[in-house]
Amino acid sequence: MKIWRYDAARGERALKEYEFDAPEWATLLDCLDIVKDQIDGTLSYRKSCRMMICGSCGMRMDGAAVLACKTRMYEIAEAGHVPTISAMGNLPIVKDLVVDMNPFWQKFHAMKPYLQPGYERPDDDREYRISQERMNVIHKESLCINCGCCVSECNAMESDPEFLGPQALAKGMRFVGDPRDGATVERLEQYSSEHGIWDCTRCYFCNERCPKGVDPRDAIAKLGAEAIRVGIDRDMGAKHAKWFVHSAKSTGWLRETELVPKTQGVVSAISQMKFAMSLARKGKVPPPFPPHAARDVKESRALHDLVSEQGRDGALGIVQGERALGRIEFAKEHGEEEREE
Amino acid sequence: MKRVAYYKGCLASLSAKELDTSTRALAPRVGIELVTLESVTCCGAGDIHEAEPDYYLHLNARILAYAEQVADTLMTVCNVCTLNLRQANYMLTGDETLRERVNDNLESVGVPRYGGTVDVRHLLWEIAEGEGYERLKEAAHKGLKGLKVAPFYGCQILRPSKILGFEDPDRPWSLERIIAACGGEAVDYPAKIKCCGFPIIQAREETALGELIQPIEQALEAGADVMVTPCPLCHLSLDAWQQKLEASTGRTFGLPILHLAQLVGVAAGLADSELRFKRHVVDPRPALEQLQV
Repeated sequence: MKIWRYDAARGERALKEYEFDAPEWATLLDCLDIVKDQIDGTLSYRKSCRMMICGSCGMRMDGAAVLACKTRMYEIAEAGHVPTISAMGNLPIVKDLVVDMNPFWQKFHAMKPYLQPGYERPDDDREYRISQERMNVIHKESLCINCGCCVSECNAMESDPEFLGPQALAKGMRFVGDPRDGATVERLEQYSSEHGIWDCTRCYFCNERCPKGVDPRDAIAKLGAEAIRVGIDRDMGAKHAKWFVHSAKSTGWLRETELVPKTQGVVSAISQMKFAMSLARKGKVPPPFPPHAARDVKESRALHDLVSEQGRDGALGIVQGERALGRIEFAKEHGEEEREE
Repeated sequence: MKRVAYYKGCLASLSAKELDTSTRALAPRVGIELVTLESVTCCGAGDIHEAEPDYYLHLNARILAYAEQVADTLMTVCNVCTLNLRQANYMLTGDETLRERVNDNLESVGVPRYGGTVDVRHLLWEIAEGEGYERLKEAAHKGLKGLKVAPFYGCQILRPSKILGFEDPDRPWSLERIIAACGGEAVDYPAKIKCCGFPIIQAREETALGELIQPIEQALEAGADVMVTPCPLCHLSLDAWQQKLEASTGRTFGLPILHLAQLVGVAAGLADSELRFKRHVVDPRPALEQLQV
């Protein structure tokens, strides 16, 4: 395998190749141990549990973040591929495969990742029992082991390093969705700030890379849904999302031209006039009147009324699909036909 | 001919009409019969999934139910529609209790129940393999010889792969295969699988532009004459917001962006009135004129 070595003190970076024998069951972490024990004792990487629960050994293989202890190497070696191992992205490299996790932990702590007092105690003064239905809301978020694989790949964070990011926001959802927490609204206010929920660019790299099935992007969507449910919708991102709902039930199709003023407000939209005019010349600003309405749009309006009464708004609306979506993974792992094609 | 329920989505109906006309003109040449879905709405674009997720599920169930009336396959021309519809489809087919509840709601407003038999596929997948690919090779008689094309996938045709699942999200091949079949040369660059910034281009323009510059810059460095994308939202940011990128960086890019159906359409000899390049902000016609055909 090849490993990107980095010495921060000297500022030197070099791609080094290592050839060695490893048992069939070896993981990437086992392979790194072999390199360190037998070839070069100066190789640096983090490890602890070796069983996918401590979250220490996040790194990149061929550019994609993985947990070294979860990644089996036999098939890769058999295929004749020489993988390239490097440190995680979006975090400063300390040495070789070790990154500085301080920026990660700062965002983690900013979420106040512990229960806030203020909930009502049960009448009988016994333990607080949570129903399975409520627990399901945060089941996936509770699986997070803070490894940083999602943060490593976050496209929004590359562009805005202050973005709270997938790990911190998923952790935030774990407490927003916990009925024992006494600061739900305050949390949603805080997470809706400039570098919060609505900074997510929906690239889905976090869902793709998470080794524990947390699906941080879905957690961020749950936060957005909860924020809108309780009326925290001042952010342009929230207004943008709400305009889609309005469009779908009024005309069926997105009312594109009104999207900018509805998202950014009229004043800000006016400052975009020059840009808008340049698009209008190319037919990219469809006239809002008369609205382009879909056939039978009254059905989607009636559906909205009906669904609104059924009380599955907010995070519950997303959680209700998790069981079915989880089955896709189950089918894959058990070699069942995942698609009927 | 493969009969599909054609779901245009919002952009092809409105600001990206050129995507609709080129898709309609191309489809019969690659063996696809389009049955346009009329009684359908927006898929929610991920926004309704976030604002009112239960309504998102019902809107998509309604689209799938109408598609089921006319074909086994619902064909999209947009990444975001593809993800939203496939996700809803998995939710509905993988959980009978949930589907029953949604179906009862659909029925009570006069929409047919959804039986769960529709496969949601993007035009990209239809012409990257199987019969569609064979027909594409015949249809692309004019070729794209001499044209260097940067494939830009966008996010929601690749990730999350458990829902999309057509190809390896880190090593996709479908666009390259189509470009080669059309006689063009695909250029490679790392940002081809990354985000164009579109979902937050209104709410967080600066962050979005920081993402947008990567594919444009890298594709030009790799020598691309044009870029092709299967997603009209990526197209809108790459084409229309490119001028904002130029204004904020003081640089000139001028990279023409083609919809997938347009690129194949050029190779298949579609008419100007079908390709409608004059609707683009960065005009692709000068770059295409250098074609040695």
